[in-house]
Amino acid sequence: MRSVAIRFGQMLLVLWAVATLLFFMFRLMPGDPTLAYIDTTFTAEQQEALKRQFGLDRSILEQYLIYFGNILRGEFGTSFRVKRPVFEVIFDVLPNTLALTVVSITIAYLFGILAGAWLAWKRGSVAEAVGIPIVLTLRAAPEFWLGMVLLAIFAFGLGWFPSGGANSAGMTFNSTFDRLTSPDFLHHLVLPAATLALYLQGLPLLLMRSNMLDVLHEDYVMMARMKGLPEWRILLLHAARNALLPVVTAFALGLGASVGGNVVVETVFSWPGLGRVLVDAVASSDYPLAQGAFMFIAFILIVMNFVADLLYSVLDPRVSHG
Amino acid sequence: MKLHRRAVLLSVTALMTSASLLTAGAAQTAGDPIRKIVLATAAQAADPQEFQAAQLIAQEWRKLGLEVEVRGFPRPQLSDLVWYNRQKWDTTMWRMVGRPERSDPDELVYNLFHSSTAEKGFNFVGYVNKDYDAIAEQQRRETDPEKRKVIVAKAQTMVAQDAPYLFLVHPKNTVGYLASVIKPASVVDQGGIGIRNFWTFVGAEPAGTVKDIIANSTEALNSINPLYISGSPDNWITELVWDRLMRIGPDGLPKPYAAKSINWVDPTTLDVTLREGMKWHDGKPVTAVDVIFSFQSTMGDESPMYKPFSSNIASMEKTGADTIRFKLKEPNASFLISTIAKINLIPKHVWEPVIQGLASKPENAESYQESQPIGSGPFKVARFKLNEEIVLERNADHWQAPKMDRFILRVIPNNEAGLGMLRRGELNFLSDYRGDPKLLTDLSNQQKDIQVASTVDLGLRYVGHNLRRAPFDDQAFRQALSTVVNRNLIAAAAWNGFAVPASSMISPALPFWHQGTPPRANLDEAKAILKKAGYELVGNKLHYPAGKKETLQPE
Repeated sequence: MRSVAIRFGQMLLVLWAVATLLFFMFRLMPGDPTLAYIDTTFTAEQQEALKRQFGLDRSILEQYLIYFGNILRGEFGTSFRVKRPVFEVIFDVLPNTLALTVVSITIAYLFGILAGAWLAWKRGSVAEAVGIPIVLTLRAAPEFWLGMVLLAIFAFGLGWFPSGGANSAGMTFNSTFDRLTSPDFLHHLVLPAATLALYLQGLPLLLMRSNMLDVLHEDYVMMARMKGLPEWRILLLHAARNALLPVVTAFALGLGASVGGNVVVETVFSWPGLGRVLVDAVASSDYPLAQGAFMFIAFILIVMNFVADLLYSVLDPRVSHG
Repeated sequence: MKLHRRAVLLSVTALMTSASLLTAGAAQTAGDPIRKIVLATAAQAADPQEFQAAQLIAQEWRKLGLEVEVRGFPRPQLSDLVWYNRQKWDTTMWRMVGRPERSDPDELVYNLFHSSTAEKGFNFVGYVNKDYDAIAEQQRRETDPEKRKVIVAKAQTMVAQDAPYLFLVHPKNTVGYLASVIKPASVVDQGGIGIRNFWTFVGAEPAGTVKDIIANSTEALNSINPLYISGSPDNWITELVWDRLMRIGPDGLPKPYAAKSINWVDPTTLDVTLREGMKWHDGKPVTAVDVIFSFQSTMGDESPMYKPFSSNIASMEKTGADTIRFKLKEPNASFLISTIAKINLIPKHVWEPVIQGLASKPENAESYQESQPIGSGPFKVARFKLNEEIVLERNADHWQAPKMDRFILRVIPNNEAGLGMLRRGELNFLSDYRGDPKLLTDLSNQQKDIQVASTVDLGLRYVGHNLRRAPFDDQAFRQALSTVVNRNLIAAAAWNGFAVPASSMISPALPFWHQGTPPRANLDEAKAILKKAGYELVGNKLHYPAGKKETLQPE
């Protein structure tokens, strides 16, 4: 219990550090939010009015105190450009982001774990000689290139899948749930999810494989062999179970990180997700939106880290925090 | 080693002395060598065309004996430098986009070069010329178009002469649509805007069974708000949803729209009669009271982006059931385009409570996003997701009801995917395309139902010189920089042929106002201009005229 309390305290400290870093990072960046308004009719009075409206006419310390006070009250402010509350903007696109990243990371890890275990079992075979370079190539290939190739073949060429967006033009749905489970949405999801999964599968696969190679030398595996158990049983029930632990951690962290979306895949497939909102916010110096979005991502990531830690001690009794 | 260096120095000095003897002592009398010039531009990744143009320009300038560095910046950083650090840069690449209001020359003639905007406004080059100021003010007051045209021509001649800008090109705007969905005869080419315009979207006739216009934007929208100027694609939506008293016609001139008639009583009095039977999207009638309220809403502090456009209104008065009289503070020739055709008509019953509620808050009307926007325009908002898709439905009750059922704007940031979608009919109007125009024209050659229109719009690319800093404070020096640049080469190489050479801030897409012909590149002439003004080439390096010191360091 005490260890949980300590970890919780650490978590708060990290969140404070992230919030502070974000605040100063954006203000130290060259350019300011009024630049997005430069126009032939942009007057000096408008510049001053905008700065007042954004609170940028105050000293940076004053701004920081106000910002921090607001965060403590759960206020993340209003976006400079979109003029709506920050979390409203984030939650608008969050379902799309989660659908894309959770689906692809799940596929990537399921595939990675199974294929990794299998490749370890097949050590020294032709399968390994062919498989590992393919995995490494997919992992190293730029996502935008992979995405464009898939688009060129399956969308522009064969016409099996749509070329972009999360839904067909002009579709109506009763609820977000209806939309996310509709065949139309799933049809749009295939190519971006495939691109992301192809990119993500390398890590769990290689991790699983190297763990398996260690585990396969353990005595209990030899024991299982001596008992004459079938190979698949040894592979899955004896070796893989124990090789899985680090992959579980990686999955929890990967899941946390996936909340931030993936700018490259989102742009290639015109997927309306959080990654693009973030990039737009940073590019236009929309401090509240960028800060809010990064805070949200950091929060999820830190929580997932915390969960992974707790999960680890549950999964492996050898790990305990005195 | 030391000896050797001294020997070289000696021989160089000897050479220079003999050279200067030959040229009657020019080297001794020339001023300081000109420092390294920095040409600021958007970074290559941000704008490859602009960056390449900058490289070509620098190459030409070097032929005059200048040391030139092309320095690329991310866009926000470039804007910050040019706009907020007006003493710190030498010369910069800059761009202006085409917008319907720029069909009137006032914005370009006045705001770009009038001295009142030099300190903090758009005259960031710091061009200060009393004679020019007088001309710019005069064209604003002159309401007779023919007389005004002469004054505007004078302004363009003066700018060409003084060369605060080095005009480069007017890029072409290239868009495409499917002729199998939209009848080509119903597509309108608006002067200076191209085929992506209000008249096309309202007048488009279906060629087949598809009755949706599916267009695209490469960036997400910021809002759908009649009191907030929030971005170009946002504006495509607002102008379809909210009517205006006048609209800028395909010929670039304002024509009555929600107004039945517009009459100037005298240069500061305008009588407007409303069209009968107009309704808001919620069914209530559009009244003269609504119209007055709409203009009033932009005059206070609730709509800062629109405020400059209505600042010339002195008063408004309802003179009859459907008539309104506008009183102006001073005569203004661009009033119809920049005010009457600009301000969106909004329903008082929707916005009055909103604005009253905002009066005591720090936010203004820009931050109010209606969940169901209500206008009186030819399209109604069916639903919208600003990062994804905006769906408009035809307003059957409108006096100019669209022929198509829906107008759908999709956010497609990937240009290549946009092309693929047009080919496959996932889009049928590629309204925002920022990729290589050649790809689009090639595609239309392969697939016959893809129609492409590539038109010169009101957009402009130029080099702005910082007139606060020597040597850019010298008109002759600026003229020489302009004369040496090959605009045809830049249009062909940097813009792949999809641009025309420029000679004025007013685009040739506005033939009534445009004046001037682009200078032909001429190195000898440029050298002659410099020589005449006293600049000297010493060795290969250009020096200031005699007696002039270099006071600045390259930043």
